Amino acid sequence: MIKWLRSESFTAWAFMTPGLLLLAVFVFWPIIYSIPLALTDYSVISDTHYVGLDNFETAFKDRNFLISIWNSLVYVLIVPFLQIFSILMAVLVNSRIPGIKIFRTTYYIPVVTSMVAVALIWSWLLGNNSVVNYLLMQAGVISKDIHWLSDSSLALYVLMFITMWKGLGYYMMLYLAGLQNIPQDLYEAARVDGASRWRLIVHITLPLLRPYILFCTLISLMAAIRVFDEVYVLTKGGPGTATLTSSLYIFQKGMEQFNFGYASALGLIVGAVIAVLSIIVFRFNRKGGVNPY
Amino acid sequence: MTKKAKGRLRLLVSMLALVVLLSSCGGGGSKPENVNGGKVTLQFWTIALQPTFTPYFNRVIADYEEKNPNVKIDWKDYPYDAVTNKLLTSIASGSSPDVVNLNTEFASQMGSKGAVVDMNEHLSPEEKAAYFDGIYNSTVINGKAYALPWYTGTEVLYMNTKLVKAAGLDPAHPPKTREELSEWGRQVNRKIGKAGYAQQLVSKLFAIDGIPILNKEKTAAAFNTPEAVTMIDNLKKQMEDGVVLKEDAEFSQQVKYYAGEQVAFELAGPTFINFIKTAAPDVYKNTIAVPVPTGKADVRLSNTMDLVVPTKSAHVDEAVKFAVFLTNAESQTAFSKAANTLPSTKDSIKDPYFTQSDQSLEAQAKVVSAQSLDKATDYMVGVPNAKDVNSAVTRAFQNIILNGTDTKQTLTALEQEVNDILKQ
Repeated sequence: MIKWLRSESFTAWAFMTPGLLLLAVFVFWPIIYSIPLALTDYSVISDTHYVGLDNFETAFKDRNFLISIWNSLVYVLIVPFLQIFSILMAVLVNSRIPGIKIFRTTYYIPVVTSMVAVALIWSWLLGNNSVVNYLLMQAGVISKDIHWLSDSSLALYVLMFITMWKGLGYYMMLYLAGLQNIPQDLYEAARVDGASRWRLIVHITLPLLRPYILFCTLISLMAAIRVFDEVYVLTKGGPGTATLTSSLYIFQKGMEQFNFGYASALGLIVGAVIAVLSIIVFRFNRKGGVNPY
Repeated sequence: MTKKAKGRLRLLVSMLALVVLLSSCGGGGSKPENVNGGKVTLQFWTIALQPTFTPYFNRVIADYEEKNPNVKIDWKDYPYDAVTNKLLTSIASGSSPDVVNLNTEFASQMGSKGAVVDMNEHLSPEEKAAYFDGIYNSTVINGKAYALPWYTGTEVLYMNTKLVKAAGLDPAHPPKTREELSEWGRQVNRKIGKAGYAQQLVSKLFAIDGIPILNKEKTAAAFNTPEAVTMIDNLKKQMEDGVVLKEDAEFSQQVKYYAGEQVAFELAGPTFINFIKTAAPDVYKNTIAVPVPTGKADVRLSNTMDLVVPTKSAHVDEAVKFAVFLTNAESQTAFSKAANTLPSTKDSIKDPYFTQSDQSLEAQAKVVSAQSLDKATDYMVGVPNAKDVNSAVTRAFQNIILNGTDTKQTLTALEQEVNDILKQ
């Protein structure tokens, strides 16, 4: 016993336990509990009945839910753009130019700003008679107001842009950490061999950033499918179902309409979709990178 | 099994054991009896009324406790956005409040789930007759009244006289019908390039033109009619023509557009005044309030706050008695004077406070809206699962008006969706 108390394993468990306890209460337990819940018509406020797989059957016939899944999958399109732009930004700010820290800080400001505040600011920028429309008209780009958030062909892409704009700084910082882990002598050796700047990026930077790319791709993929705040504040899923995402629909069914059993079933289906996509990303890219030890 | 796999399995089993252990510790507590030495404590919840109206509530609660020495009122106030979650978690944990302030939509939704007490079982005919019929009936579903109406508001038309005059219109002769309002909006748009007003796309639009949302039995949708097609297409055209802003504008957006003088009119209740006064004092000075132009149905729609008693309350009789006291004519008149709201009781509006105006915007709006209370009806009258229905209707309106889908086809699909909701 005393031997175990002195072991590295005990120390590790001691450090992990508080976090694991919180995870158990707020993450693992709700996930496990949602499985039996999905088999009932639980609504909190009235009697609960077992309904078997009815909720799942209803879900696959529910046009709005299918649209919300589709919209969430479309939202995933921001993932590659997010990676490309944040890597480019990281490369740009990974230099020793005087004042570069100001740029890093500036790019990071949207990350630390509350999403609700960001969404409200964008609603002012993009609403009727908005600043963006005014500037575009002055520049002669458009001749009349564009309804950025109430035009079904635009609204989802506008939301995707806002999500990307807010996330860029965060992923840039992660990639910056990755870039600063790459040994400089690799670049120097390549330069001696006459490699151009482009070849340095393609043959050294990107291969050695692969673990970071995998990690950022995974978390941005999950975030894209779970997107909620900006959609809730800016469009509430409208116009019609143009920006109805799976998280928002689950929220509406559960918290607004008290169909918690059904919402649990929807949550499990969306969870399965995220799991499948994550596995695909994992299989796609597991090698490469720098061993920091 | 490898050592690594065994380790992972052990970790997983440990985690599951921990989860089960933790879950056995929480929830499911027994319902608190809230009885102290023969005294019943009632949990009374309101929405966003503290601290502004604390003196009124302290007074009315003290008065009630004096008249009912066996009852103690524990008053709590929650923000609008938090009350739903708070109520759900309290009911789930077995500590339901006894009297709760909710809006009609939420009260109807809870009533549909059988979660609130039927007031018809507890009130005498005289007590029921004290309220305006149209407002009392708003939460009646299948003959059961799921709430007592409390403070209310009916819409009036706010007009920016500066913009209206600039468009060559006379504010002294305001529009009386929706058609006239539309013409005014058209002229405002033509002459000064502003829109007439901003509009939220909700089921209320059916009610304004007298199109029933559901059939009399509340068992099926009844809005799929040629009149509805005409009404929606008309609104769509108004948005195309700039009479109405092309957007599904929530109240906060409407305030913003009116404060920024992007629209000349606003159709809203009395609370709108406070927002404008704060956001745009200059616009407030140029604003007048006139009776709201009516649609084909010639009704005034109310927007009511109710009191409900959850079925899980441990003291239903005492709770109903307190809710009746709080919503009687005397209490409501006093609250209206404190809060600049309208009462839902017939006797209250006989008070001079609701008939005399000092010509301030607040007084104009109050008098104008109080005089229309006898015609007032809530637009979600007795709609089961009101939140689901509203959400579906809004989506369909947005699809037709903003996304350009076919009106008739979309209404037919909506009819099916609403019928499915009613079967739940």
